[in-house]
Formats: sequence, C-alpha cells, structure tokens
Amino acid sequence: MRTSVIGIGLVTLTVGWAAQAAGQGLVFDARRLGMGGLALGRSSNVVRYNAAYRAMPARAGEYGQPKVTIPIPLGLIQFLHDHPHISNDPAFNPDSAGFNPILVLNTLLNLPIYYEVKQAPTPTNDVVFDIGQNALRANLGLSAALVPEDQLGIGGSSRPLDPGIGIKGVRVSLMGWLHDEVGLQLGDNLLGFLRDSQPATPNTPYTVIGDGILEGGVAPSIGYAGRIAGDSTTGFYVGAAVHYYLGIAFARTNGTGGFVTGNPIFGAPVKPTVSAVTDYSKAGNAFGHGVGGDVGVAWVSGPVELGVGVNDIGATLTWTDTREDTLRYDTTSNAIRTNPGPNHFTTKTKLPVSYIANIAYAVGKTTLGADVLNNGRGATIHVGGEQRLGLFALRGGVARDQRKRVEFGWGGGLRLGAIGLDLGFWTHTNSISNERGITMATSLSIY
Amino acid sequence: MRAKWLCLMGLAGAAAGCGQGNLVFNVDVLSFLSGADTMHYDLPGGVGPVDSSVSRFFALPGGFGKSTINNVSITGAATLYNATGGGNVLFDVFFAKTQAGLFTGTPYVTASSGPVSGVDTVPLLPPTTVSPGDTVFKADSIWVGVRARITTNPPLTPHMTGQLRLMQLNVRIVLNDKIF
Repeated sequence: MRTSVIGIGLVTLTVGWAAQAAGQGLVFDARRLGMGGLALGRSSNVVRYNAAYRAMPARAGEYGQPKVTIPIPLGLIQFLHDHPHISNDPAFNPDSAGFNPILVLNTLLNLPIYYEVKQAPTPTNDVVFDIGQNALRANLGLSAALVPEDQLGIGGSSRPLDPGIGIKGVRVSLMGWLHDEVGLQLGDNLLGFLRDSQPATPNTPYTVIGDGILEGGVAPSIGYAGRIAGDSTTGFYVGAAVHYYLGIAFARTNGTGGFVTGNPIFGAPVKPTVSAVTDYSKAGNAFGHGVGGDVGVAWVSGPVELGVGVNDIGATLTWTDTREDTLRYDTTSNAIRTNPGPNHFTTKTKLPVSYIANIAYAVGKTTLGADVLNNGRGATIHVGGEQRLGLFALRGGVARDQRKRVEFGWGGGLRLGAIGLDLGFWTHTNSISNERGITMATSLSIY
Repeated sequence: MRAKWLCLMGLAGAAAGCGQGNLVFNVDVLSFLSGADTMHYDLPGGVGPVDSSVSRFFALPGGFGKSTINNVSITGAATLYNATGGGNVLFDVFFAKTQAGLFTGTPYVTASSGPVSGVDTVPLLPPTTVSPGDTVFKADSIWVGVRARITTNPPLTPHMTGQLRLMQLNVRIVLNDKIF
C-alpha cells in the first residue's frame, strides 16, 4: 500500500511539473540552449509549423546549420559519479529509509543528460501537521508555494512521419499524427488544505481533477508551398495543406480521484473516491473522420526573415463507433468498478490549433531571432542571438515557458572546419523548487 | 484505513517539504482518549499504592519506523478532584511499542498531587519532557497509557473518593527530513 501511495504521489507530481519541462522542450543542441531555446535556420519548429518554409531555401552561407548534432552527456557522468550503484541506491529505493522522493522527481524532470552547474535548492523549511481525533491541519511553510493552483498539463499534437512526393511545389503525402494531452488540477478542498493550510473537515472529499485524451491516425494530405513574389533574396512565400484525418483510435477521460475523510477524521475509515467517464474507440472500430488544414506565409528580404504558420485549422474528427464507460470506486466491495455505458454512438474530438510566428535578422557575423510557438497548451517565447568572432561564437537568449516563467540561456562555440563544439548554459525551473537551477549543455556538431 | 490516511499525509509532507527541514507532528493525544480521559477512584483508607489506568493504541504515519526521530516532546496536565478521604495521587503517562510493555518503564511525564484531604482540587502540571532520538516512537504504531497511582491515608473510613481528569496530553514528534 505504501508503495502504491508513493507511486500515485510521484506520478501526480511528475505530470504536474512535467508541464514546465514540456514548455521548455527537451533540447539536445547546446547551440540552441545558448540562445534561450531559439532555433534559427531551416530546421525544427519553423518547418514543422509553417507550411511556407517548405519552399524556402536555406540562406547562402548561413552559419550554424550542422548536418548532425551529437549531445555530449556530461550529466550522465555526473549522475553516475553521484550514484554509482543506482540499482542499490537507497535514495531510489522506496523500501529504503534513505528513499528520497524529491531526488527521484528531480531526476525524472531533469534527465541527467547535461551537467547541472547549479542545483535548484529544495525547500528546507519545517512541515508541521497538527493532529487530533477530529482535526488535521498541515502547514507546509514556504513549500506551500510549490503546490500548483492552476491546471497542470502536458501534451500537444505531433506528426511523427510524413512521407510523400512533391512536384513543382505541390506535395502529396500520408501524414501520421498523434494528439495527447493530460491535465491535472487539485480540487478546492485539497488545494486549501495543502496550499492555504486550511484545516481538514470530516466527511469531505479531497480530490484531484484530471482529464486526458490520446488519439492518433493518418491523414492523406495535399499541399502547396512556393514563392509567389520576388526572388531568392527578397521573396514572399506561401504554403498550405489540406489533411483528411483518419483516426485509428482514441480515448478521452474526465474524472476525479482522491479520498473522503471519516467522521471523526481519525476515528472513522478514510474512503477512496474515484469517478471517471471514458469515451473511446478502439483500433479496428470505424475510423474517425475529419478535415483540417495548415497555412503559412513567410517573407524574406535580405537580412530579415518573417514567418507565420498555423496548423490543424478546423481539425475536428467525428467518431461514429464510440463507447462510453463509467469508472467509480465501490465502497461496498472496496474495489474500482467499471460500468459499461452507451455504445456505437457518435462523438467528436478536436486537434489543438498550433501556431508559430518567427523573425530572424542575419547580417554579417550577427544573427538575431525570436519566435512565439503555441502547440496547443500555451505559448512559449524565445528571443536570442549569436555573434561570431573568428572561430568563436557568443550566444545569448531568453525564453518564457508555458507557465510564464522566464528562463535565460547563454553560451559559446568553437568551430574548426567541419567540426564544432558548443557550450550552452540554461536556467530551468523543472525541479521541485521555486528557484532556478542552471544546466550546462555540451554538443558536437558536424557541418 | 487509518494507516492509508496517515501514509498519504506523510507523503504530502515528504513530497512537498522535505529538503533539509523537519517533519513535525503535533498530536493532541487527549482528543483520542475521549471517554477514557477521566479515572474515578474509591478506595478505603490505609491502602496503596493502587493503580488505575487507561491505554490506547495508535497507528503512526507509515514510515515512522524507518525515520530518524530528532526528538519527542510530551506535555501533559491533569486535575485531581478529591471528594472525600485523604492521600496522594501520582499522575503518570507512558508510551511503549507494545501493550505489555506499557506500564513497565519510567513514565514520560509524572506529577504528584502531594497530600490531599477532603474536598480539594489539585492541578497536576508535570514539566514538558523532551526525549532526543526516542526509539519508542520509531515504529509504525504505539501504545499510550495514563496511570493514577493512589495511596490513601488511614483510617479505613472514610474512603478516598474522587476523580483524576486528564486536561492536556500533547505529543510533538520531530522527524528528520525523510519520512519515506
């Protein structure tokens, strides 16, 4: 029981704080980290989210477009040095007196790929519980600020593959797509208990409200991208694509889970409470159907480049063979029961509209840029730049993540012919802490 | 099920606040002794000492047995309401890992009423005791016992009658940072 409770707690907290990680992205390129997460050039986000960029050629002689970037995982060396016998390390063993859930969480949220220059300090205040037969109050002190008030979530849409053929700007493809989202929010009672130190009351539910969706499929697509005005140095590009989404399977759930205090609080059993409604259509059922599209424009004029792209516009899928199950905790049998509900009915799901707006300015040995990206769960903003000095490059940048926290990046690089070594420092708030940590990324690039 | 409750509570504390800080439990033990917080006595004169006691079992948050306890502070208070007769009453509070071992050792808090006679009300205010690194609380459950040890004055009559009412029993347990 103890392990399961710990597990639920860890999963909850991990999902919660993973939102920050998702917002900042898992980046393996030290050059990009050094610019606050900004990606310059014809790679990464601009091509994914702006259909016009498919037609834009790379800038002639543009610096920093490696063929391959290989991360140098100094963080792994650090981690293995600190925890040489991970399988026997008490800090990672829930049955050990030395088990440290904070360390486990921080390791999950900050995968030890890069060297952690400054660990985000965890709260060091006392946590006080006042307990009586019909009284319970928690005072988490400064740690209460870490209890999330808003909904926490991770997810978005992705296109893991998009094979196709193109002729004169027209491209026909079969795109694979995925949409996943998980959201969690503490109920008012639990939030008040943990964050505001409100006393617990008898016969009261303390719950977490959750929702999630997972769907995927393929989409036959046809699109066009091309320059409609100007030339390669000054030109206006447009791109558009229409997708016919065929959903293979989906599952969507909304529910609450937690416990109900006894009466008196410590004199009667605590009762779990779980209730959830799940709609789903398994693979093999009828496909979901829907139509959506992408549009994008981009303008380049000498050193300046601007672009705006929007994806999955109007992408609503209709599933004609949906089943609905209800999940609840049965207090009689002390077990979770599933009650089959309606079957073969029609429901709809909607892919999130994602967008990107970017600007870049490259002149001489200076490159500056900024982008705003929203992949369905809030906008992230990156602003950064690079200044080259002979063989060396200096970089800096700032970013605002989905939780509106500001992070900073800085670093440099050395390029010798076809080989480049980059170093990037990056602040992060992925830890269970209300202060920033600093990580150092190193990567090798082959041009 | 109480263990689940306490385990969950411990997790909340551990996950939210365990850096180098302490986990502190202030337990109002008296609230758990409702109905057993008053011990009546009716003894002939010239006897004793005679013990009257109550005891209760408590489940502690899961993980107490694996935690390092910095210290345990115990504060108790009682009031003796003597109606007839005379003698003295010793008020003791015990904690033990087992019921069998409950009243065998040295009491955690103790206070004597001193000589009382006839109608009398005597507050019993033992000093707060602090037990650094107490291993009795290094367990997932614990027994608490309250004892009144009564010695009456001769002659045989009148009987010494009255009651000892527990007014306060608080336990403050300070754990090191990792309950899990």
